[in-house]
Amino acid sequence: MYQINDLNFKYPKNKEATIKGISFEIKDGEIFGLLGPSGVGKSTTQKILTKQLGKYDGEILYKGKDLKSYDKSFYEEVGVGFEMPVHFSKLTAKENINFFKKLYKSNIDTDNLLKRVGLYEDKDKRVGEYSKGMKVRLNFVRAMLNNPKILFLDEPTNGLDPYNARIVKEIIREFKEDGGTVLLTTHLMNDVDELCDRVAFMADGKIAEIDSPKSLKLKYGERKVDVEYRDGEDVKKESFDLDSLKTNEAFMNIIKSKDILTIHSKEMTLDDIFIKVTGVNTDE
Amino acid sequence: MNSFGTLLSGELQRMKKYNILTVSFLVALIWIGVLYFVDIEDITSVVPLLVFIDATSMSMLMVGATMFYEKQEGTIKTLLVSPISKSEYILAKAFANITSNIITIILIYGYAKIFKEINLNFFGLLGSVILIAFFHSLVGFIFTYNTKDFTEMLMGMMKYIFIFAIPVLLEQMGLIKNKTIDKILYIIPTKSSSILLKSTAGGLESWKIWFSLIYLVIASILLFFIVWKKFDDFAIKESGE
Repeated sequence: MYQINDLNFKYPKNKEATIKGISFEIKDGEIFGLLGPSGVGKSTTQKILTKQLGKYDGEILYKGKDLKSYDKSFYEEVGVGFEMPVHFSKLTAKENINFFKKLYKSNIDTDNLLKRVGLYEDKDKRVGEYSKGMKVRLNFVRAMLNNPKILFLDEPTNGLDPYNARIVKEIIREFKEDGGTVLLTTHLMNDVDELCDRVAFMADGKIAEIDSPKSLKLKYGERKVDVEYRDGEDVKKESFDLDSLKTNEAFMNIIKSKDILTIHSKEMTLDDIFIKVTGVNTDE
Repeated sequence: MNSFGTLLSGELQRMKKYNILTVSFLVALIWIGVLYFVDIEDITSVVPLLVFIDATSMSMLMVGATMFYEKQEGTIKTLLVSPISKSEYILAKAFANITSNIITIILIYGYAKIFKEINLNFFGLLGSVILIAFFHSLVGFIFTYNTKDFTEMLMGMMKYIFIFAIPVLLEQMGLIKNKTIDKILYIIPTKSSSILLKSTAGGLESWKIWFSLIYLVIASILLFFIVWKKFDDFAIKESGE
């Protein structure tokens, strides 16, 4: 869907470029995660891909055509979900949605979506009276209302309780199953693990790593198994090579003769990979 | 409905909900109050003065108010990723302002017609207000682009009024009689605005009317181009540079 080749971008007031020669692809029908600490260029990349920033160097192809050649009709098939509230606070949710719906040729059944995200009963309330979580869900509805082909989502579950976060993630998955493409930006590695087909980690305006979450875990993890077991009064822990596990007699003996307390493959989490690749903590 | 129509009706809906139209209505009532207390029966010469103040200052103020609400609530961000052009966005705001100005002159003219004596060409007044309000709405855009908050925008607007509007008002009220100053004032857009409004009462030389009309039309086209061109920088700033 998107092909980005040697993308460079510098804000007019900055001395240094924010994006430094990145190249990647977002495939049709995938959920692509763009990850990294604050200020590394994730939002700038997203703004360039959504045509909010135009003066870049390099090539961006959208559906095989230069992104710059698209006019305002480009937004007919794009949905952008912002992290911060983007609604008129003195209008009701319904009034907000109706206003934005009229700007598009194609619309979804927003009543149904409002019901799914639990806002239908409050649709006639002013948005100013909404809680943070309700505003986040309304942002999500706003992004979806034009029945987009590609969704750009910035922290779509941030500020949501686990129940509503699960619903939003379910809708994102259904959107993908129906052929939609998603570019997801988030600090929540659990969401990335659950949703993303591929992820790119950004650091200092460059792409430091790009692959599927599973491949990254295999790449950065150790191929070892840690076994914790009871040995008489003591609790012992041993580590075994994962590839020769089936022929490892010591491992087999422990399995057969000891009470196993825990057994774990030493797979890295995405949090660990985030820290290792970008050099910072996910909370930053 | 096309995007311009949707944006315009949305602007008017929000101007109502955010009480901007109420403020505009209250200002119109103040003008009516002024007319009520004016101790002359024929208010033909007073109405253009009031309409001049309203069409220049309220247009700038209302553009600033709606745009700062959009900035504050982040809605400008979501509008920037909608299938609308910058021309549609700018024109929708300007025409929403013009609608409010038209309501004001209908109220003022209606009051004057019923309770006082007035001898103005209403359609001339209407056309002049549309042009003046359009130009000054664009001035409001420039102020909003270049200021950080509403207070700073108000300060800029006040400077504009002091430099461009007050000298013209003083000259129109006969308090400035110097002919050189009168000629210098032709450089500024408020002088043309004032002449157009005054011309609706008749009795002005036609070259003055044509000069003012052409001046404001050309100035509006040029200013629209500047506002349109600078919108990209504004959009970058608002999308969170």
